[in-house]
Amino acid sequence: MVSQRDQELFREDIRNRRRLSASERESLLKPYLPDPSDFPRRKSRKASTSRKTPVRTFFKSQIHQLTYTIIHIFFGIAVRLIQTYHAVVDRIFAIVYYHHRTPELIRKDVKGLKRLPEHLSVILSLRKEDDALAVLMDEVAELAAWSTASGIPTLSVYEKTGILKSCIPTLYELVTSKLSSYYGSPSQQPKLQLFAPHHPVYQTETPTGADTDKSNRESLTLLLLSSTDGRETFVDLTKTLAEMSQNGKVSPQDITPELVDAEISEITTHPAQSGTDGDGDGDSVFVKPEPDLLLVFGPFLKLDGYPPWHIRLTEMYCTGDTSNGLTGYGEAVEYQGFVQGLWHFAGAQMRFGR
Amino acid sequence: MATSMHLSRLRKWFLASPPIEYAISHLRELLVGALKQGPVPRHVAFVMDGNRRFARTHGIETVEGHNLGFEALARILEVCYKSGVQVVTIYAFSIENFKRSKFEVDALMEMAKVKLSQMAQHGDLLDSYGAKVRVLGRLDLLKPDVLEAVNRAVDMTSRNGDRVLNICFPYTSRDEITTAVRDTVSEYSRPLKPIQSPSAGPRTPFSESHIALNIQAQRTEHNSDTESTSGSSEDGNGNAKQDRNRNKVYESGSSFSSSTTLHLGQQDGPNTKTSTPLTDGTDTDAPSFVSPETISRQTLTDHMLTKDNPPLDILVRTSGVERLSDFMLWQCHEETEIVFLNVMWPEFDLWHFIPVLLGWQRRISKSKQNPDAEGDFDGDGSESAEEDDGFVLRPDNKVKGM
Repeated sequence: MVSQRDQELFREDIRNRRRLSASERESLLKPYLPDPSDFPRRKSRKASTSRKTPVRTFFKSQIHQLTYTIIHIFFGIAVRLIQTYHAVVDRIFAIVYYHHRTPELIRKDVKGLKRLPEHLSVILSLRKEDDALAVLMDEVAELAAWSTASGIPTLSVYEKTGILKSCIPTLYELVTSKLSSYYGSPSQQPKLQLFAPHHPVYQTETPTGADTDKSNRESLTLLLLSSTDGRETFVDLTKTLAEMSQNGKVSPQDITPELVDAEISEITTHPAQSGTDGDGDGDSVFVKPEPDLLLVFGPFLKLDGYPPWHIRLTEMYCTGDTSNGLTGYGEAVEYQGFVQGLWHFAGAQMRFGR
Repeated sequence: MATSMHLSRLRKWFLASPPIEYAISHLRELLVGALKQGPVPRHVAFVMDGNRRFARTHGIETVEGHNLGFEALARILEVCYKSGVQVVTIYAFSIENFKRSKFEVDALMEMAKVKLSQMAQHGDLLDSYGAKVRVLGRLDLLKPDVLEAVNRAVDMTSRNGDRVLNICFPYTSRDEITTAVRDTVSEYSRPLKPIQSPSAGPRTPFSESHIALNIQAQRTEHNSDTESTSGSSEDGNGNAKQDRNRNKVYESGSSFSSSTTLHLGQQDGPNTKTSTPLTDGTDTDAPSFVSPETISRQTLTDHMLTKDNPPLDILVRTSGVERLSDFMLWQCHEETEIVFLNVMWPEFDLWHFIPVLLGWQRRISKSKQNPDAEGDFDGDGSESAEEDDGFVLRPDNKVKGM
């Protein structure tokens, strides 16, 4: 803690009113520096000081230990209280804001917002229960329905293990049936495209008769991500580039952020195209590679292996500190968390380097 | 308005009075000492955001805001190093910041230069505390005079040991990742030096004539099973040769078209210079590379600017902006706890940082108790809550007793 007087001296120095010499500055600094003997590097000196004042050192460490315990007790109580408060508020929100599986209600909830994310990304985690996969797929389906209803065209779901990628057809069925429970008959349902990096776009053949009113229907692109799309992608890219460079096809100077950006974006925007040339619009999937909003359904904000490249300007919102406590586990994907995230996003001030 | 100004002046006077100042400084010391008792993060990163907005709201000049921000940095560094954090990384200047007004950029550069050169004047002091300063980023974008100050400060502290301050000066994470990829690629495309360099000439691990001689010798010794051994050994020979040819280029086969030209180059020695563009004149053999398949996440991590630092534990961003803004994307993408605080950086102090640290300590010590919970606050459900309450009650009484 720097005393007021010294602070003034220091500020004077900065404002060029009175330059301090090096030795003056040093003497100004001296009282605030820790005793050099505190550092483990100086073993000999430390030993001597602790021998000189063994009682004082002992008491000091005891007091610190005690303070640590007390602080943590109070902090624990405070955390519990805050959690309880948030849990209560959260329950109230859950009652006030309930979607009732009606897209119109969801639309009303987000109507007043200044902006909506074009690309929403969600981090989900697989739980440990037996029906974890079913729960996870249901969460994805719910999120897909909420996103379409609130007018978000792209949703990407990150799940660390990548288990979702192995059951794309099942997931597609599930999401479609969820959408039908929101929207009713299939002709009013939004168009759904489901894909994962290195997987073809999955969508069922739409009856040609329904093509006429396709333009005024919402559509949703659902992208599945896993931890292999993170650092591992960079490893793959580096491998390929290294091979090309060894064969003289590319020089290391050609590797620019733009090239890396183009290559990395390619993976998430243009899925592997195999046999999807049935109808024209199936191939032209365009996904904005950088998500605008990242919702973390977890107790605290942790990226957990999320692909690093595209999140530089992504707003992050963690529902965790609001929805745990009474509910027992904080990872529950609930509608009010989703809506709160969107509200939070709309209130944020956009600033980028300028 | 007037009353609030008087109040703040009164508060300032009160806080500046010697007994209060003394008490607060001791309280801080006590808190830091207490924090040291638990697990302490090894690597903390700060995004020092909000200097300009602080200046705007307080009606002072932007440059002055940055100066106050520097004071806040000094305060927080003191807390970090005293409580045992090994590495602190700060985001001082983004490559994007060059887009700001020239006046501000120049002022920031001047500030960096002055601070770094002042630091260099206190070389012996820094030595005795063993703090190492490193500047990460695109140093080539700096002006020569600033660069000189940077180099001097870095050189002076490079011998120091355990505590590190990383200053990300003109830095963006995308640039860092790209540089890491580029460095890795150029490292892997550097041909390996032949091991037996003094004895020049093509690499011949085993001479074929010698093997043939041996086989003949074996044949003469054991006349009984000549047919089978000679056949099999010749086969083996051929296979081994092919394998070797492949291994020279890549450990695991590649699907690149130029592999044929490489084979050619190996077969007819003198033609190499014309047929393959890769071989430089000194090598008669085709250049051999480390296989790209050995590149792993660790390889890339080792090429990042923070290569020898411990993994990032906490990332704090002030000013309530909830994005990373191209900072530490690679480093913070796994276990790092990201915290967004709604204070401006010049106001940031121990009091804001302590809840973050306590929360982290709480989580870490809980995850140590039961590793299954993956460090969740509530992954362990009601059982631990009861346990916690029980724990709470006992010392609480003790506290009251005191």
